[in-house]
Amino acid sequence: MMREIYPSGFNSFVMPFMLGMLFVLGWCLVGAFRVLLELPKEDRKKLALSFLNPKTMVKNIRDWFFDCLFHVKLWKRNKLLGFMHSSIAFGWFMIILIGHIEVFLYTPERIHRLWYPIFFRFFVAISDSTMEGAFLFFLMDLFLLIILIGILLAIIKRVHSRLFGMRRTTRGSLTDLIGLYALWSIFPLRLLAEGFTADISGGSFLTKSLNGLLHLFYSDPTNALPVWWAYSIALGVFMFVLPFSRYMHIPAEILLIPMRNAGIPIRHSRKGFSRLQVHSCPGCGVCIDACPLSTVPVNVRDTTVYLNRQLKRNNRKRIEEISDKCLLCGKCSAVCPVGVEGDKLRIAHRATREYGISADYSMIDQEGFVKEKGRRVLYFAGCMTHLTPSIKRSLVSILETAGEDYSLMDEDGGICCGRPMLTAGRKDAARQMIQKNTEIIRSSGASVLLLSCPICYRIFKQDYRLEGIEVLHHSEYIDRLISEKKLNISGTGLRYAYHDPCELGRGCGIYEEPRNVVSAAGVLVEGAKKGKESICCGGSLGSLTLTDEQRKRLAENALGNLTADSPDAVVTACPLCKNTFNRYADVPVLDIAEIVAQSSGRNNIKH
Amino acid sequence: MKEIIAIIGGGIAGMEAAAQLLKFGHAPIIIEKGERLGGHVARWNRLFPDLTPAGELIERLTEACKEASIFLNTEVSLVNRLRDGYNIVLSNGITISTKYILMTTGFKMFEASKKEEYGYGIYNNVVTNSDLENWFNGNRDERIDSSSMKTIGFVHCVGSRDEKAGNGQCSKVCCITAIKQAIELKEMYPDAQIYCFYMDLRLFGKKFEDFYTKAQRDHGIHFIRGRVSEVSENIDGKLIVKAEDTLLGKPLKVTLDLLVLMSGMTCNPDSSRLASMISLPTDSDRFLKSEDNITHITSSPKKGVFYAGACTGPKTVPETLAEARSAALDIHFKIQES
Repeated sequence: MMREIYPSGFNSFVMPFMLGMLFVLGWCLVGAFRVLLELPKEDRKKLALSFLNPKTMVKNIRDWFFDCLFHVKLWKRNKLLGFMHSSIAFGWFMIILIGHIEVFLYTPERIHRLWYPIFFRFFVAISDSTMEGAFLFFLMDLFLLIILIGILLAIIKRVHSRLFGMRRTTRGSLTDLIGLYALWSIFPLRLLAEGFTADISGGSFLTKSLNGLLHLFYSDPTNALPVWWAYSIALGVFMFVLPFSRYMHIPAEILLIPMRNAGIPIRHSRKGFSRLQVHSCPGCGVCIDACPLSTVPVNVRDTTVYLNRQLKRNNRKRIEEISDKCLLCGKCSAVCPVGVEGDKLRIAHRATREYGISADYSMIDQEGFVKEKGRRVLYFAGCMTHLTPSIKRSLVSILETAGEDYSLMDEDGGICCGRPMLTAGRKDAARQMIQKNTEIIRSSGASVLLLSCPICYRIFKQDYRLEGIEVLHHSEYIDRLISEKKLNISGTGLRYAYHDPCELGRGCGIYEEPRNVVSAAGVLVEGAKKGKESICCGGSLGSLTLTDEQRKRLAENALGNLTADSPDAVVTACPLCKNTFNRYADVPVLDIAEIVAQSSGRNNIKH
Repeated sequence: MKEIIAIIGGGIAGMEAAAQLLKFGHAPIIIEKGERLGGHVARWNRLFPDLTPAGELIERLTEACKEASIFLNTEVSLVNRLRDGYNIVLSNGITISTKYILMTTGFKMFEASKKEEYGYGIYNNVVTNSDLENWFNGNRDERIDSSSMKTIGFVHCVGSRDEKAGNGQCSKVCCITAIKQAIELKEMYPDAQIYCFYMDLRLFGKKFEDFYTKAQRDHGIHFIRGRVSEVSENIDGKLIVKAEDTLLGKPLKVTLDLLVLMSGMTCNPDSSRLASMISLPTDSDRFLKSEDNITHITSSPKKGVFYAGACTGPKTVPETLAEARSAALDIHFKIQES
């Protein structure tokens, strides 16, 4: 029979926990309201509507479990890392849940007392030896054991992060460290505290055995009280530092998930959704290894995890430096277990800069760019393809060979696609170009817009409103020509290492089509890091401050990944990647259009 | 007994130094990887500023150094440091033991195809300064159509002073070479319009400035300050060059029959390879590092190793010859001291 020992149901040792708990609850509520108030009206509406959509709600619930508790993304990265995080998160969640079940079952009148489920074993005693509660006790001990294993792994990880698939981890701030040590001590203290009282309150394999052990040294149960105090203090300390440490990610992620699933964009560098993302950063440091900049150790402090820290501290100088240095390759966002969008945070910050001169392109006349109107395909080469004329020549030859009805949009000069301005945060300048180009494209009468540069492709695809006109990257287009048998290509047998351009892969999700094309023209080989995890060539126009010398080291590192298997050539689908690699590569660097033009026989160029 | 001096590189620096060392009564050995002596200069047609035929210089040097031991088609496989000298293993199986090494390894021309935007290797009518000299020498070049030479362009600083290309240094000779070649073409095709696209004109040497004035005044060659941004081809297969005239502040576009790229000098990878064998330092421009860039340009920090010519940085022909003589003198005095 379960009964209560203390009629008051209170002991002053619960105070540190209670104060911490109320502090955290208050802080999070105020924070959540602040984030919601900072959202523009349309985004708030979007969020509210998303809660009414059953599909989104199912996704929310799924993500809450899979992301917050099971850490599925970390499991995919490394089993040990996944186990460590999910054992602590899910174990702790289950202990809290079962704690509440226990209170609900045995002392339902105490359910409104916040501390009861946490310190239940202090307040109750078991008066007979029936098996009542044994199953719950067993579960409690089991999850405690799982957490303790997780904590042990966390301690090992501090020393041997490589075991967990991480070369480098984050250096914690002071509050991070206080939180960390408090977190590590909570569960051993809980075990000790419950061990002391297990003969009175009941327990299972872990707490009962510990109790037997402790009785060898201490017989006086009053010895237990200081340990319960210590347990409560550890909890209190953890909760007091939580808002100022990386552990803020625990509550923040709960709100982040529905906002992410509702499709709320980042609109401001520090307010609204940005604020939430920054606080959702768990500081795990997965982005450090991912970031191409960290090839050079001095750049480690320019990775997203440190950007988030500086954004929390509002250290403007560092925020500026980090934002401008970034290549915007998007890899940190792709690997982030929480979904912090490091690239978009940086662009949002760049957008806060004020320029003395505002761009005005109204004097550019959009007439006369397209010489032959009414053709089906309109090919926009863009500035980078004009600087790599072999790509343009090859693609034109492919268009001719396939007998396509096409015309050129920027044969004799053109207007920039706007993407460089957009990545620099200059939305208004970009918008003017978008408007001009849209008029040119609309008036050309084409139904397909063909791009050979992923930088252009991304903005045409994502920021232009070209309904009714299909926007295709040349990798998609050539893949289609091959599968429709409009283009016959004979494989060369050469081994091509394919490099995923950031803007095409992570930026637009095009991974398959270029690989199909490469496989048709030769033998596809891959670097160890590929697809979502491919390494930026270093030439990205995303960075505003990297010098050529710094970029060289990034390019050489990326090339090392591609040429480890000694391919005959490196093949990419971006003129900028080609241009960058070409400077440092020992093997030929080619665009997919070039290898296709070489192996599709005819080289009939339109003259 | 005569002292052996290993001269690595049989260009004009190596030849001149060998000639001087022979005069001092020593025994120079020239190691040349190519099939003949003379290096880059031997492939050139005429030299600025007096349009002296390069062949004459090479002939004179060949005559002067003919008493030296000369290994052609030979590379240095290995250099070992001994306590008091060096052991040089050659690709022909011969090993040379010497106390003195003279590095005259020269430079490598920048590969113009690395600047893809200029279309070298892509368009039919794009050549380099070196290709043009080769054509001046009477060799056929299908890219150069002598029947249609109405407009010709020169691009200065191709791979020189170009951080992106990984070469920050000025190659020194291209400005004046472009002027020389422009004048030569103008003399061959008086009706042609010739444009030189430059960043700055660096005309530091004797009579260089006169040459430049002459090019404008007597030959009507157009000098446009601004880099070429891109080159494309029109329907007739002619080149279209887009550039900016930074003095007028206007973009411009010209249609050309021929475009000449003034490829610059970059460090010779062979120098770097040899340098790593006997741990010679290289400078920030990746060329070999002299003991002192003002007072001891021909000395290396290593005992018995000397430099002459473009292995320490871009040089003109007279500078290279002067350094070769200076290095020979240095070596001679070192031999006498010991």
